[in-house]
Amino acid sequence: MRELTATVLENKKIAEEIFSLTFGAEEIPPVRAGQFAMVGVEGFPLRRPLAVCKAEGERVTVCYRLKGEGTRRLAARERGEKISVLLPLGNGFFVEEKEKRVALVGGGVGIFPLISVIREYVEKKEIYAYMGFRNKAALCMQYEMQRAKELVIATDDGSVGYRGTAVQALMENIDRVKPDVILSCGPTPMLRALKSAVAGRNIPTFVSLEERMGCGVGACLVCVCELTNGEHARVCKDGPVFGIGEVNL
Amino acid sequence: MSDLRVNLCGVELKNPVIPASGTFGFGREFNELYDISILGAVCTKGLTLEPRLGNPVPRIAESRGVILNAVGLQNPGVGHFIEHDLAWLKGKTRVIANVAGRETEEYGTICARLDELVDFVELNISCPNVKCGGMALGVRPENVENVTRIAKSALKRTPLLVKLSPNVENIAENARAAERGGADGISLVNTFTGMVIDIEKRRPLLANNTGGVSGAGIKPIAVRMVYEAAHAVSIPVVGMGGIVTAEDAIEFLMAGATAVEVGTQNFTDALACPKIIDGMEKWCDYHGVERISDLVGAVKMNG
Repeated sequence: MRELTATVLENKKIAEEIFSLTFGAEEIPPVRAGQFAMVGVEGFPLRRPLAVCKAEGERVTVCYRLKGEGTRRLAARERGEKISVLLPLGNGFFVEEKEKRVALVGGGVGIFPLISVIREYVEKKEIYAYMGFRNKAALCMQYEMQRAKELVIATDDGSVGYRGTAVQALMENIDRVKPDVILSCGPTPMLRALKSAVAGRNIPTFVSLEERMGCGVGACLVCVCELTNGEHARVCKDGPVFGIGEVNL
Repeated sequence: MSDLRVNLCGVELKNPVIPASGTFGFGREFNELYDISILGAVCTKGLTLEPRLGNPVPRIAESRGVILNAVGLQNPGVGHFIEHDLAWLKGKTRVIANVAGRETEEYGTICARLDELVDFVELNISCPNVKCGGMALGVRPENVENVTRIAKSALKRTPLLVKLSPNVENIAENARAAERGGADGISLVNTFTGMVIDIEKRRPLLANNTGGVSGAGIKPIAVRMVYEAAHAVSIPVVGMGGIVTAEDAIEFLMAGATAVEVGTQNFTDALACPKIIDGMEKWCDYHGVERISDLVGAVKMNG
């Protein structure tokens, strides 16, 4: 984990309200699939925790949805400008050696950390991706997603691909695909639906959580989630990836 | 090279910069980013007698130039800290244990556990985010004096700092109350109570509804309060509230603080404290200040 001043290489709209920011810096440490970065926004005391979508040497891409003043300000940053970045953060997704068939279930901005899983594991694993979007206007990163062995794009209104949710798309294929592990990221209602859909199937399932953060390194105890044993865990440091049975959603 | 050492209540700090309670855990996470032994001291997360889970999330919000937090004193309890973190942290630098009781007597119990083990105790009588203890004790001068006295009587060797709430009628009066109660020093300001509303949901953004406001936007108020408190007492003062740069820290010194705590800026820039230490040294060198302690209370008021 390192505190860096990075240079904006590209910052562009890739779908409705979705931006992709690529920055570069010397000495960017290696970033694993599912890890995130805290990205500074000038004039705002809190940095934004953004999932790393791609990390190639000295270039890192994060994606974000325009949500408020901070992300709108971030979207206005131009090529060549400096931003403060702290990365890599969090535990990330791990796929074990024995797990060959990997199902990804993503929704909304939750697809971006799963793109990093595709990039890291596409050569080594069979990847089956079920990616949910609100509609056609929200669709992005098709090129990256298509590298998976199987890709089902699901939209709420059926304007592209399967009409329904990513979880429904997974469940229609799960008996054929027989995943060894399921990795997921998306809105909490989606994660809840996944939890009940896969209950009793005995497939290791991991979810990446989102929470408002302070420090991003595990010191301030702002971004906690509740574990099923009643304890609290830090999303930024102990997560963001947790076993689906480990957390109360 | 100017001398950055300061003497706080008879204890020497290698420089006046201390990460503030609640922003730095027990130091382990930030030590992955830089060697925290460069810090003057570390102020721990607020410690309670028993472990606490704290408030529901969201626990943090932002407004222009400030943040609000309502963590609600989540911590593993004082015993766990003593057993698992204290020796490690003491091997790095001076340790200030921030202590929060549920009620007055409990402050004494926790202090007794920490006496002689840490370099300072900082009494948190001003946390705005917990229902009992915390701020209720920190508002009225007679309560401040009383809880200070109880904590002090449990501390035979360790100097006692009392952290004052800014949500009070008269900060000088509360500073004097802490001094009467036997405090060896005071620290201020804790956070200001605030609220942010999500207008789409028509609900406060924080699950706790209100939270403690900190960050650059509160600095002028904090500097004024540190000045008023420092001039009301003869014990040392640790100043804080919105410090971003070395120049901000020097402002607090001139207002009367012997040392400073840096909180919110640790979130904006994880290397904030090392940068501030570095910047203070450069400022002193440039201005021919031989000892940084010469700046304490150096402000001269107009007219």
